Amino acid sequence: METPEILDNTEKKKLSSGNLILIFAGALLLIFLIFYSIMASMAPARKLKEIETSYGVKHDSEEKTDERLFTDSAYVSLLREKSFLQSKIAMAGTDSIYMTLNIPDSTAHLEISGVSVHSVKISEMRISKILRTGNNYAIQTMLASPMTIASYIATIKKEPLMIKMAPKDTSEFKPDVIPDTTDYEPVNYILDMDNGLRIYVYQEVADSANSDRNNLFFFDLNDRLKNTWQSMKSVTSFKVPEYHPFIKIRVPKADAKIMYRAIPRKGQIAVYI
Amino acid sequence: MINLKENKVLRIILLTLASLAALLFVFVFVIYMVPGIQEMKGTRLTRMLSDPELKKEQSYKKQTSQLTRDVQRLSKKYASFTSGQSYIVINTTDNRFFLYKNKKLIREGFCSSGSYTMLKTEGERKWIFKTPKGKYWIQGKITSPVWRRPDWAFVEEGLPIPPENHPSRYEYGVLGDYAMSIGDGYLIHGTLYKRFLGMPVTHGCVRLNDEDLEAIYNTLSIGSKVYIF
Repeated sequence: METPEILDNTEKKKLSSGNLILIFAGALLLIFLIFYSIMASMAPARKLKEIETSYGVKHDSEEKTDERLFTDSAYVSLLREKSFLQSKIAMAGTDSIYMTLNIPDSTAHLEISGVSVHSVKISEMRISKILRTGNNYAIQTMLASPMTIASYIATIKKEPLMIKMAPKDTSEFKPDVIPDTTDYEPVNYILDMDNGLRIYVYQEVADSANSDRNNLFFFDLNDRLKNTWQSMKSVTSFKVPEYHPFIKIRVPKADAKIMYRAIPRKGQIAVYI
Repeated sequence: MINLKENKVLRIILLTLASLAALLFVFVFVIYMVPGIQEMKGTRLTRMLSDPELKKEQSYKKQTSQLTRDVQRLSKKYASFTSGQSYIVINTTDNRFFLYKNKKLIREGFCSSGSYTMLKTEGERKWIFKTPKGKYWIQGKITSPVWRRPDWAFVEEGLPIPPENHPSRYEYGVLGDYAMSIGDGYLIHGTLYKRFLGMPVTHGCVRLNDEDLEAIYNTLSIGSKVYIF
């Protein structure tokens, strides 16, 4: 009768030490999560501060600026219009294709030298809070210059180049067949702008298009994982992670494809918020 | 003893499940919830006001009227980029064209643009068949154009490249009745392969059907803008 009791006690000890390890690991994880959340939630405010420092009102200048103006809706509305026009004029001076996003109108346009060559209706959008309600003067000053695409990732090729080897003689020559123009590829992409802003363009997904929905889910997940990994690296070295203000738009698939293929690799974009 | 073993197995199963659930929670928390928290209230934000007292101030009126003048001036400047001249817009993704006159769309239809094919030889020569994008203008208008076949036209068919100006380089009637040059050897012309209109099949030129080509030829003059995207 003694032996099982001894065994029971040993088991209990083992289990309780196991419990302690688990509790300790859980507590550590919880602390990290809280720390990570705090650091991550500080990121937008830090980004806004950066924007304000770069583009905000310079207090050391001779001329005093009445900052109450930047909270007046009529004044801010004019300021927005001015910024957008300034940005568009800067781009229209080139012969290149550029994109304009008009958030209040829910439209995106492809333009060349001031001529709108393609217009797209945006069906859904999400915008960073700091872009919508941050310091109006600083945000609008930032948007008064066109943004340039610094890098991008996409589910489709920019140029769908096919390589064809030249026949050695006429016996090897085969006339071209009708190209496959089936629109099966999902179209989602993210444009990283030079000022830190990110523009997400997602295709509209029909209820029946499961493969498109799955592709969008994994494309989005991949982006989130990348961002989280970057944030984790910053947080583990006790730094506030980088925050990218964003504009996420959803447009018809064909239009998303047209916009992506039309805009140059280092293309420019103007945003009216 | 059996009970103790069963309890242990049950405990391990529960712990494993709890750990997996915790991991899943952590994953969802950092991937989805933290970005959500970033967009929640807390950031120092600006509240929009419409203060009647401010509107009465002289400095407000001055600043607002200055801004209004700026907007008007910039709007005028931006509008000046679009002239009333006729122009054509070519969409190379959908292979469609849009013809405008006095800023109004007067004709649209299908065209064929570059196939995005890279033709390579064993001798490392290569050509990329794509239609250039951006702003161009009509640099020349030709009736009954003759196609002078470039080197790639022979290479593509496995034929030996003839000397410059050799009679085999000249083909009659393959470009339709009209052609308009937009520079760098690129043309807007007709085609024998009308069934390919709406598809990316050309070597970089823009092909149109006979009726559209004639209408465009008659509407556009030398200097008219060609916007390709």
